Amino acid sequence: MSRPVADQPLHRSWLGARLKPLALLLPAAARRRVAIGLATAAAVAFPLLVSDEGDIDAAANACAFAVLALGLNIVVGFAGLLDLGYAAFFAIGAYVYGMAASWQLTPPWSEAWQPLAWLGLVSRFHVEGVPDVVHFHVSFWLMLPVSALIAAGFGMLFGVPTLRLKGDYLAIVTLGFGEIVPIVARNTPSLTNGAMGLNGVIPPSLFGYSFGVESTPYYYLGLALVALLIFVSLRLQDSRIGRAWMAIREDEVAAGAMGINRTRLKLLAFGSGAAFAGATGTFYVAKLQTATPEMFMFPVSVMVLVMVVLGGMGSVWGVVLGAAILQLLQSWFLQDLSEWAHALGRLVGSAWLQDVQLAQSIELIFGVILVIMMLYRRQGLIPAGRRVRALDAREQAVAATRGGIGARLSLLDGEAGLPTGAPMLETRGLSRRYGGVRAVNGIDLTVPAHAIIGLIGPNGSGKTTFFNLVTGLDTPSGGQVLFLGADVTGLAPHLLVERGIARTFQNLRLFGNMTVLENVLVGVHARTRTGALGAVLRPPRVRAEEAEARDWALEVLAVFGNRLLPRLDHPAHSLSYANRRRLEIARALATRPRLLLLDEPTAGMNPAETLELADQIHSLREMGLTILLIEHKLDVVNDITDKVVVFDHGEKIAEGPAAVVRHNEDVIRAYLGRAAAAA
Amino acid sequence: MSFGDILLQQVINGLSLGAMYALLALGFTLVYGIIELINFAHFNVFMMGSFFAMWVLQLLGVEGQSTVLTGWPLAGALILALAGTMLGSGVLGVVIERLALRPMRNVRGTAAMITTIGVSYILFNIILLTIGADTQNFPNPMPVVRWHLGGAVLDLREVLLWSASLVLMALLHLFVRHSRMGKAMQATAQDQEAARMMGVDVDRIVLLAFFIGSALAGAAGLVFGLYYNFTSFLIGYTAGLRAFTAAVLGGIGSIGGAVLGGFAIGLIESIGGQLLAVRWTDVIIFSILIAILVFRPTGLLGRMAPQKS
Amino acid sequence: MPISDEPPPLLEFREVDTCYGELQVLKRVSYTVRRGEIVCLLGGNASGKSTTMKTIFGLVRPTSGAVLYRGQPIDALPTAERVRRGIAPVPEARRLFARMTVLENLEMGAFTRRDPGGIAGDLERVYDLFPWLRDRRHQLAGTLSGGEQQMVAIGRALMARPALLCMDEPSMGLSPALVEQVFDIIRAINGQGTTIFVVEQNANMALSIAHRGYVLQSGEVILSGAAAWLRQNDMVRQAYLGEMRAAS
Repeated sequence: MSRPVADQPLHRSWLGARLKPLALLLPAAARRRVAIGLATAAAVAFPLLVSDEGDIDAAANACAFAVLALGLNIVVGFAGLLDLGYAAFFAIGAYVYGMAASWQLTPPWSEAWQPLAWLGLVSRFHVEGVPDVVHFHVSFWLMLPVSALIAAGFGMLFGVPTLRLKGDYLAIVTLGFGEIVPIVARNTPSLTNGAMGLNGVIPPSLFGYSFGVESTPYYYLGLALVALLIFVSLRLQDSRIGRAWMAIREDEVAAGAMGINRTRLKLLAFGSGAAFAGATGTFYVAKLQTATPEMFMFPVSVMVLVMVVLGGMGSVWGVVLGAAILQLLQSWFLQDLSEWAHALGRLVGSAWLQDVQLAQSIELIFGVILVIMMLYRRQGLIPAGRRVRALDAREQAVAATRGGIGARLSLLDGEAGLPTGAPMLETRGLSRRYGGVRAVNGIDLTVPAHAIIGLIGPNGSGKTTFFNLVTGLDTPSGGQVLFLGADVTGLAPHLLVERGIARTFQNLRLFGNMTVLENVLVGVHARTRTGALGAVLRPPRVRAEEAEARDWALEVLAVFGNRLLPRLDHPAHSLSYANRRRLEIARALATRPRLLLLDEPTAGMNPAETLELADQIHSLREMGLTILLIEHKLDVVNDITDKVVVFDHGEKIAEGPAAVVRHNEDVIRAYLGRAAAAA
Repeated sequence: MSFGDILLQQVINGLSLGAMYALLALGFTLVYGIIELINFAHFNVFMMGSFFAMWVLQLLGVEGQSTVLTGWPLAGALILALAGTMLGSGVLGVVIERLALRPMRNVRGTAAMITTIGVSYILFNIILLTIGADTQNFPNPMPVVRWHLGGAVLDLREVLLWSASLVLMALLHLFVRHSRMGKAMQATAQDQEAARMMGVDVDRIVLLAFFIGSALAGAAGLVFGLYYNFTSFLIGYTAGLRAFTAAVLGGIGSIGGAVLGGFAIGLIESIGGQLLAVRWTDVIIFSILIAILVFRPTGLLGRMAPQKS
Repeated sequence: MPISDEPPPLLEFREVDTCYGELQVLKRVSYTVRRGEIVCLLGGNASGKSTTMKTIFGLVRPTSGAVLYRGQPIDALPTAERVRRGIAPVPEARRLFARMTVLENLEMGAFTRRDPGGIAGDLERVYDLFPWLRDRRHQLAGTLSGGEQQMVAIGRALMARPALLCMDEPSMGLSPALVEQVFDIIRAINGQGTTIFVVEQNANMALSIAHRGYVLQSGEVILSGAAAWLRQNDMVRQAYLGEMRAAS
């Protein structure tokens, strides 16, 4: 007797039932590779399978837009900088090639051009009756990287004064820039032929074969560009640079406090994105053999943004998917839907339905996508998953033998390089005024090397402000900060990290969406050197540095025993509160500091956790660190500090061993308040 | 025409444009002052407001520029159109806030602004797809009465538009400075949590700000139509850019700044368009915008510096 | 059968747990504030005092336990309603509306009221309490000194004609002389019939005017009793200076 329909298993089809167990045979990583392999094969075979020239052309355009989306993804997705004028760089790349390889610019010939003619970049052109002119025909393959660099240059030039602006204001100035560029293009017809468009742009040629007007070679070129830039994006994402960008995106202030030079990295992101767009511009204009300003206006910037938002900000595969979906929509789906609507219109006799052209509604769909995605799925279709490479066998062995209290942290420069005599930290008359309020007033403080000093005092007494002044998050109104004898007053946070000052924050500033391991790796940023190029190429030096960084990160995490090590690939926001506090300390340790400033490290911890951390802080001193901590749990302060400094109303009112200070009249009065006059 | 005449004419034009930009900038800055949101959709609410006004006038039987009214019928028609567009735009603004923006209120970063870009696109394309891309002849019942000041021409409609705009601005000022809800709005803009502790319903204040701001945008839409005798789906974009720059120039979040900025940009546009070619006006205005944000982000009168928080 | 005709306490916290984020800030705290009293809540930094204020005003909701006003639970009520029922705040660091005038700030205190006559009368009473305010009523609040701002903040709260005045660290940032002045005013207001709940770090000052007090440490009430008793009790000092560990 057959089973009732409702009881049968849910395999949708005979094929699905057969393939499913097969798919589950493969481990996740291999499954991924197979999927990518199949997709690549399909992409390569595409023009052979499809005969419609229009479809291949649309696919080639889709490749161009996918590259744009990848480029914007670096700016918006990785680094968190909203750029609403991205099409400007697209335009720059296009017009640079357009001017360098077309009949647009034809200055009069002179001998000065001869060397360029020998290089094959220009040639002398003769027209009857007029003096000879220069014909520019720089090779497409040469211009591809050159215009990318030129676009990057514009990006960085624009970025220098503007990247310090807050998110939505940065978006507005980029919008402005994105509008100015096509207008300038339109208004300088001598260079660009204005609204009529560049003419006679020379298509690329490979080994004597000119690409001409057939779409297929452009499609393969586009596909190659997409593949290249997917590769570059993935490499960047999983590198020191990528982590620094994510840190900036998560919490800029904390990123700076962990040693990241924010200005340089933002410029790098902005410039890289611009370079991608510039290269695409060159490709696109070579394919169309013309360029008009209309091709580069605000709607184009929005379209690329929609691709990124739809696919997933920060997700490399996601934005490629987003680009593909939008191109499919625009070129095929909407046409088909229009035809169905026409048919329906004929059926029901609706004139409007018969005339509707849904392809025109693509921009409406963009708007709807933006709103729906922001409201309901901000992470996009394929969220940027934080994949952390699992520990390999060697690393697992390393982790198992270390750990727990008392582990020695190698390479933490304890004695090495310490100039004799100078205290670790010294402030002289350090002050900070806000309007009329003196948050910190004339603090003279000395912290000897290897000391653990507690900073205590009632609410609002200036302790955190003092920390901010010492770590560069705030600029003093007066006085000096000396670190190991050198004047570091007012230096930017990342420079102080390089010198060896690290800190944690009162209100926890972890990079919530990054994993435990990644948070700590960000701490290593200041001690590593890999740049963007190294990140992409991964020569042995870079790989060695990355391995060393990971080893160091694991050592640092091992200080907290088995609290954090089992959770390496968990996002930081998923940890318990106490573990988040520990992670922040680990992250600060990763910067290899000499001086560690802890701002209320035990806040929110129960007594047992507090005791454990107090012991760990003690052992950090054994490993060579000097520690300054703000702490409210005065029993902790009593136990572990060598001495305490008491703040009240921005001034130092007492200093000495905790046991003594506790009985100081002024201190008691600061905490408990002055007794009433007629009490 | 002598140079003086040309200048005077451009000043007259500039003041008319300025009045319109001031109204637009006011609505925009009102919302920004309370929730610190750059609302792109505002400028397409303005565009829709001009369509609302157009439809009201068409319903009243005004055809193009051929129906001319005077005296009470004129006043009545204009007041009805103003009321219609202010009400319609205000409601539109409230709907947008409620559906698309309130859920984004606590999301940090630029997500809310991106949502407003989406809404802006939706409004823009709804008009494009239903009404079409053609410019619409705007029904204008105002008689053509001109005065000659030397070589320059001053039109009655310009005087009417200035007056109407100034009245609206004065009413807004009175409301914000002297009414109970207006003061609650100020309080909310200055310290939202303290306002809540005084018993202010912050959600309602935000709705009110959106309603008033959008209503002003609608009024600006009517001004546009009466001034230019046309409207189209594109007007939000061009006027929006200028109004936005005006708000930033005057100091974002500052009501006086929006008015000052609006008139300044109007004058810059008309005089600048005279001195340089018109096709460079957009570039000039965008450059002003960028320059202010880079060099003096608080603008002329504002206090909310858009630096990194 | 005798039915107790004693009115319920004006404000009561019963075993309240409150979380801020996922940090548990208040742990099963209980307070009682009776009509006509001045009750102070003391404690060092990070003890949970501010969260208590936020809980009273509904800016933070308790995860368990109950907050009662005049015997009725108010956990679900919005802030505006609580103010309307007679609880007025003097927030930490004053939180005046800096770009509004003194008068406008005072008027904002009466925002939930609809009786212009009563409001005008209360305004006069505030001017009586702080005579200098009358002359400065058109001055922008942001331009006042710290002490003056504190007076305006108190006046603003009084404009709600509250039954219960909740003050969050009124002594913060003020010179000792001003602190005394402020506490004298608190005593005077109480003398006129307003119940006062003061959250304060300055234990000595607060205990000198209060009837009763509670001491918070790490979110738990570790001491409570008559102010006179607390004042002489060394345990308060120990609690502040961390010598006393809460039994947990």
